[in-house]
Amino acid sequence: MAVSLWVEVGHEYMLTSPPGDVRNGSDLIDDRPQDGVFRVHRDAFRDPAAFELEMQRFFERGWVFVGHESQIPHPHDFVTVRIGRSPVIISRDGQGQIHALHNSCRHKGAVVCQNQSGNKRAHLCPYHGWSYASDGRNLLIKDKAEGDYAPAFDLDDHHLQAVARFGVYRGFMFASLSSDVPSLEVHLGDVRTLIDLAVDQAPDGLELVPGVVHYRFRANWKLQLENTIDAYHFASTHPSYLRLLERRASMPQRADAPKTIWQSQNKPKEMMGSFGLARGHAMVWTTTPVENHPLFEQRAQLQSRVGAVRTQWMMRTRQLNVFPNLQIASSAAIQMRVIHPVSVDSTEITSYCLAPVGEAAQKRRQRLRQYEDFFNPSGLATPDDTTIYEDCQRGMASGAIEWQQGHARGMQRLVLGPDAHAQELGIHPMTSVSGTFEMSDETVFHAMYRHWRKVMA
Amino acid sequence: MKDLSLQTIHQVQTLVHSEALHLDAQRWDDWLGLFTEDAVFWLPAWADEHRLSASPERELSLIYCSARAGLEDRVWRVRSGLSAASKPLPRTSHAVTNSVVTLDSGSSDRVVVDSSWTCHVYELKQRTQHVFFGSYQHHLLCEQGHWRIQSKKVILMNDLIPTMLDFYCI
Repeated sequence: MAVSLWVEVGHEYMLTSPPGDVRNGSDLIDDRPQDGVFRVHRDAFRDPAAFELEMQRFFERGWVFVGHESQIPHPHDFVTVRIGRSPVIISRDGQGQIHALHNSCRHKGAVVCQNQSGNKRAHLCPYHGWSYASDGRNLLIKDKAEGDYAPAFDLDDHHLQAVARFGVYRGFMFASLSSDVPSLEVHLGDVRTLIDLAVDQAPDGLELVPGVVHYRFRANWKLQLENTIDAYHFASTHPSYLRLLERRASMPQRADAPKTIWQSQNKPKEMMGSFGLARGHAMVWTTTPVENHPLFEQRAQLQSRVGAVRTQWMMRTRQLNVFPNLQIASSAAIQMRVIHPVSVDSTEITSYCLAPVGEAAQKRRQRLRQYEDFFNPSGLATPDDTTIYEDCQRGMASGAIEWQQGHARGMQRLVLGPDAHAQELGIHPMTSVSGTFEMSDETVFHAMYRHWRKVMA
Repeated sequence: MKDLSLQTIHQVQTLVHSEALHLDAQRWDDWLGLFTEDAVFWLPAWADEHRLSASPERELSLIYCSARAGLEDRVWRVRSGLSAASKPLPRTSHAVTNSVVTLDSGSSDRVVVDSSWTCHVYELKQRTQHVFFGSYQHHLLCEQGHWRIQSKKVILMNDLIPTMLDFYCI
């Protein structure tokens, strides 16, 4: 394994020496369907040069998720984010229009807006006092008249530079630092249908519950992307959580612990399936007992509003990857997880709880408790995931071992294109698989890595 | 309005300090024994830079247990040997200071203890360490001469969590 070239400095990182040979993406994926082989090279997770290329190609040249519209509901509300390594303000102007702006003063480069979120009509640079409106327009160059500027100075505009592309799909906001990208509609493709399944379960849509959770682990960002759509790890990584649910269920006096969707009186044989979608996106679905699902009691209304097929899909667990940095997990609660790669072996996660607008108090309480138990890094399940990502990263330091063996389950079941489940949803994945929960398909990763290879080549 | 006796102040500060010592020594049963059965344990998430989640009913928490049974769950998990995040357990060292005791609703058998805490965490797997820090608010109740914890609210100032956090880290 190459020595890490990146030195973390706060949230940023610096290159300590130039990257060596950048591995070509096609060297790192061994994709031979005719031989039944699909392998990912460990350098994809441990080579700083590959990471540098990922930052350039995916995060600085492609569509990236930047936030949910409900974070900035009012005129002049803003949040600050990073796209790749660039600080960005997502700001709603006085007319309600949203702008993605580079958070860097045009004068000397200082970050203009220092807060994570807030409401400001104007952003004042702390250095020389240039100020900008909530739509990015330059309002003031301090002492401009006295500055004896040459006329050429005003040949450039002095506004906060807009990020090249910005778009919103059903409240989910995306931006691209490069204008050389397909439309957001094309980028998302079938993901739109899958986002619809999350949003349409509530008649008035979804909102972020106040309270943001931040965590960091010392492992490559793609371990997070893989883990969410990896059904295979669930029983072996989370036995303490699953046994705890059984323990609670055996204690009838436990009014403090809500029943979860993974509990049932009569456990039917569960199924799982996956869709590998275009442009790196993917989804895994599983059936679970429905009687403790938050939607169970309203299923009649739901059926009349969205139809029987979509109601059934809404009550399945759905783990959706919107490549490269958004995950929407719909199970007992709806989690929105945003991935910020920091270096080849360090990743920061921001995690939010989504909930129906106007949800009843008792339902909201139940949602929160299930969310906290499962999705928090201070909960009863996620800490086991994050700890194990670090175990993987440390294990992968063994440079002698080249190829992972973790992308092969389900190969014999693979359907190229849509299966019956995809047809039910009207989507067109590149690959589909379904079977028992224990089959725990891994071909769902193939479409993601094929996209990765194409863009990295 | 009753007065707060020096004896009470001493007793309740000792309880809050003992709680931290139990955690560092992994004396989980002794730790649980300090809580009443209906004790609430709350670690709110931050809603923005300087506002905490206001209500565990409507907003997100990092940990919320509405009864001691929720803490017993966590102790069970740590002891189960089934949690990768809990083996090997990190070594921890708490320091609790600046504790100020006030009477709760003027009753001499209820007090509030506000304090500051730090917890150094040494991770054995990675041989690295970090510090969590913040403040506590304990609501204590005296039953038959014994003080017990009826609620504990933990504020975590540095909420960018390195890998994981559990009850013994705060």
